[in-house]
Amino acid sequence: MNLFNILSDLEGVNAEASERFLFSRRKLLRTTSVAALATPAFFAATVNKAFAADADVVEVLNFALMLEYLEAEFYKKGTMMSNLIPQSDKQVFMKIAEHEKQHVEFLKSQLGDKAKPMPEFDFTAKGMFPDPFTNYPIFLTLSQSFEDLGVRAYKGQAPKLKDDKAVLLAALKIHSVEARHAAEIRLVRQLRVWASEQETGGVPAVVYKGENNIRHHDAIDLVSLSDSHLYQMSGSDVEMVVRESFDEPLTKEEVLSIAGPFIKTMMP
Amino acid sequence: MEKLNKLTAKKTGPTIPAIPSVERRMFLRSFGIASATTLALLSSCSQDNLVAPGKTLGRSGARTGASVLPDGSIDLGSGDIGISNLAYTLDQLEVAFYMTAVEKTSGLSELDRKVLVELHDHEVVHREFFKTLLGDNAIPMLDFDFSGIDFNQRNAVFDAAQKFEDVGVGAFNGTGPLIQDAEILKIAGKMVSVEARHATLARHMLQPRTYFSLGHELIDDKGLDHHLTPEQVLAKAQRYIKQKISAVNLPKM
Repeated sequence: MNLFNILSDLEGVNAEASERFLFSRRKLLRTTSVAALATPAFFAATVNKAFAADADVVEVLNFALMLEYLEAEFYKKGTMMSNLIPQSDKQVFMKIAEHEKQHVEFLKSQLGDKAKPMPEFDFTAKGMFPDPFTNYPIFLTLSQSFEDLGVRAYKGQAPKLKDDKAVLLAALKIHSVEARHAAEIRLVRQLRVWASEQETGGVPAVVYKGENNIRHHDAIDLVSLSDSHLYQMSGSDVEMVVRESFDEPLTKEEVLSIAGPFIKTMMP
Repeated sequence: MEKLNKLTAKKTGPTIPAIPSVERRMFLRSFGIASATTLALLSSCSQDNLVAPGKTLGRSGARTGASVLPDGSIDLGSGDIGISNLAYTLDQLEVAFYMTAVEKTSGLSELDRKVLVELHDHEVVHREFFKTLLGDNAIPMLDFDFSGIDFNQRNAVFDAAQKFEDVGVGAFNGTGPLIQDAEILKIAGKMVSVEARHATLARHMLQPRTYFSLGHELIDDKGLDHHLTPEQVLAKAQRYIKQKISAVNLPKM
């Protein structure tokens, strides 16, 4: 089998695909012994990886787009209601609504004709939240849910974008905006700004599942390392400080199982 | 608030710019990739990215760790070590700033003090994380100069806080795509959203429920947050750091 012929055939078909192929091949070459290069299995693995990378990015961006549709539509509806949001909080929600709409447009522009259309939403989540647009506390609870969930969703997807620096940068730049939203909503609700299992503010507990993690690296015990340097007293407070110092990711599946009840028709 | 009353009792070291001496590390003159302890720690999360580039790229002996240059300036190193040292620099700065703020700011309400204490403590956790991750590749403990901040003005303190936190957000956003090791990228992602929450909290202490509290001036018309290159981060942070810091060997986009 002539590897180089196949490579040039690929180049003829699709210059961009070939570039990706060569990139991932270079990466593999760095970590793989020369002997393995000759095997057909190795070659197949390289090809699959090269094309999967592209599909992965599209999948991640469409997943993000679905969440942004959800948020944008939620705030659009909420800010249109004349008696829902008190004057004191109008600025916050007008700005958040604007950001979420911009996120939708940005992601659509990145996906082009691969962008999936907006699904139909049910913001009562099959009746779980009966009056989200006339009951302000419910609106706030859902807002907090969507923002903290959004932060966790982007965080979970970031590592999948590692090979595409430009897309990863954009995703990180949306991620921190979602965190600003989440923090401000929590403050409006007079909650602590940190996501935690202890303080859900009436949001379904599953949104914060796993946020209590205090171990981020096998070899680093942050509780004992930090204890003597903290102002807050030792004991359970130290664990609280450590767990609040990190936000935790969720997988796509976990996010979809939480967001599922709000989506009436899934995208094809 | 019994807890808050004990604050000064727990910290016995001198105030900033001097970091309590118990925390002061030896000023190591050079940090090669040969350090056994660092290899053990860093390789436990990645065998081939952080530790092995010198080998796999045939550049054995290439410097990746931090080093103190002959003129006393500090080079952060290259690759993931350099990026981690940049984060470690900012975490040191934030801890020192909040320590000064808690001890020196006049006219703090109980809530003000509680917020500054919490921000301080989170940054300690972040600092200890990077310090331990980096091991012998870590830069030394730095000295700081916050004389440009008016600690007699509560608002000036929260304004400085939101600026430091937003440098943190911009730094994590800007360096995230340059990280080689997937585990470090994941952990950076867990920290950057907490920095964004910090920034929001500090802003909220100045102008709650406003465009300002959402950081609107840093967010572009696509709804994307700001990001900073390592050089831009240092341009903002250097004036508070006594040692000259160099990010010249950090990776670039």
